[in-house]
Amino acid sequence: MLEFMTILIIKTLVAFVVSLLIVAYSTWIERKVLGHVQLRHGPHRVGFHGLLQPIADGIKGFFKEELLPDNADKPLFLLAPIISIGAAVTLVVIVPFGDKITIMGREINLYLTDLDVGILLVLAISTIGSYGGILGGWSSGNKYGVIGGLRGTAQMISYELSLALAVIAVVMVSGSLSLIDIVNSQTGLWNIVKQPFAFILFIICGLAELNRTPFDMPEAEAELACGFNVEYSSMKFALFFMAEYCHMFVFAALVTTLFLGGWHGPVVDGPHWFFLKVFIVIFFCVWERSTFPRLRYDQVMSFGWKILLPFGLLNIMLTGLWMLVFNL
Amino acid sequence: MELVFLLICGGLAVIASLLVIFARSTLHSALWMVLSFFMVAIIYVLLHAQFLAMLQIIVYAGAIMMFIVYAIMMLNLRQERDSKVMGRVSKVVGVAALLVLFLELMLVGLGHSLTAMQGPITDILVATHGRVAVISNFLFADYLLPFEVASILLTAGVVGAVVLSKRVK
Repeated sequence: MLEFMTILIIKTLVAFVVSLLIVAYSTWIERKVLGHVQLRHGPHRVGFHGLLQPIADGIKGFFKEELLPDNADKPLFLLAPIISIGAAVTLVVIVPFGDKITIMGREINLYLTDLDVGILLVLAISTIGSYGGILGGWSSGNKYGVIGGLRGTAQMISYELSLALAVIAVVMVSGSLSLIDIVNSQTGLWNIVKQPFAFILFIICGLAELNRTPFDMPEAEAELACGFNVEYSSMKFALFFMAEYCHMFVFAALVTTLFLGGWHGPVVDGPHWFFLKVFIVIFFCVWERSTFPRLRYDQVMSFGWKILLPFGLLNIMLTGLWMLVFNL
Repeated sequence: MELVFLLICGGLAVIASLLVIFARSTLHSALWMVLSFFMVAIIYVLLHAQFLAMLQIIVYAGAIMMFIVYAIMMLNLRQERDSKVMGRVSKVVGVAALLVLFLELMLVGLGHSLTAMQGPITDILVATHGRVAVISNFLFADYLLPFEVASILLTAGVVGAVVLSKRVK
C-alpha cells in the first residue's frame, strides 16, 4: 500500500512538473517561432536566446498590481481563472506519456490513470473549463468582456459537437474509449491513415476550442480589446494565459494519442516519440497562427454548423459502412 | 470512506439546488445548478457508473447549462428585478404541494427499505465486459426499439423547434 502510494505520488509530481514545464516553454516556442516567421528575433535578452523568459514572465506576474473593477461580480471574477486553470491541469491526468517501463525491478505505467471512459473525461472536463473564460468575460462588468464571453459560449457549443463527432469516428475504428487502448490499437497503422477526415475535423475543431487564430473570436484584440480577459491583471491574467497553453499541450497530446500513434514510432517505442509528436503539433499551432488571418464571427458560426457538422456526420456514416462491408 | 464522500457530495448537491432558487442573480442560479449537476455526477462515480457520470457532465453541466448561460448573457439579466409575483393563492398552492410531496416521500420511505433493488448490472458483469460495453449492450441489443423511438421523438422535437422559430418570409 505504502509503495503503491509513493509510486503514485512520484508519478503525479513528475507528470505535472513535466507538463507545466512544457506549458511554460510552449509560450517561449510561440514567441520565438512567431518572431522568426515575422523576421524578428523574439525574446532574446533573458538567458541564452531568451530561454529564461517564461520564468521572468512568471515572476513579473506576481509583482504586478492586482485590479478589481468596481462593477465586477466579485466572487465570479475571482473564481473564473481558477476554473480555467483547474480544468486545464486536471486534463493532464489522462495523458498517456508512454507504455510500461521497468525501473528498479518494478513495472511502472507511464500514465497516471487508465479510465475506460478516458476520452469522455476529456470532453467533460474541457466543457467545465470553458466556463472559466465565459464567466471571466461576464463577471468583469466590461462590455468588451461580455461580448467576448458570449462569443466564447456560442463557439464552444458549435465546435464541441463536431469535435465529438471526430472523436466518435476514432473510437469506432479503435473499439474503445480508453486512451491506452486507442494507442495500442495503432501499433501497425496510425489512425491518421485510417481516419484522415476525422483528423482534419479534429484539428480544426480543436483549434476553435482552444480559441486560437483563426478562431480567436473571444479575444480578437482588434475588435474586442482582448475580449474576455480585458479587466484581468497580474497573476489572474497569467492563470488564464497558462490555462490557454495548458489546453494547447493537452490538445497536442490528444492529437498524438488519437491520430499519431501515441508512443509508437520507428525503431524503439517510448515516451520520446510522444514528446516529439507533441512538439510537432505545438509547432503546427504556432505556425498556423502566424499564417491565417482571423475569420469573421458569422463565418465562424456558419462554417461550424453548415460544413463541419454535416462533414463529421458523413464521416461517421462512411466509417460505419466501411466497417460493415469489411466486417471489422 | 465512500459514505463520507457520498455525504459531502449529496449535501453539496442539495445545498446547491437550494441556492439555485435563492440566489439573487440569474447567472448565479445557473452556476449553482452546474455545481449541483457536477455533484450528482460524482455520486454516479461512487455508484461505479463512470459512463453515466461523464454523460451527466457533458450533456447537463456542459451542453444544456452552457445554453442557459448563453441565454442569460444574451438577455443581459444582471440582477433580479424586484418582482413580486407571489400572490396569496400561489403561496397556499405552493405550501400544499410541498406537503403532498413530503407525505409521498414519507410513504415511500416507510413502505420499503431504503436499499434499492438489485439491478442487472453487477460488479462481475462490469469486470468481465467493461463499464461502457455493458451499458451499450443493453442500449443497442435489449432495448433497441425504445432507444430508437426516443431518438426519433427527440429529432422530431428539434425539427419542430426549428420550424417554430423560423420567421415566415
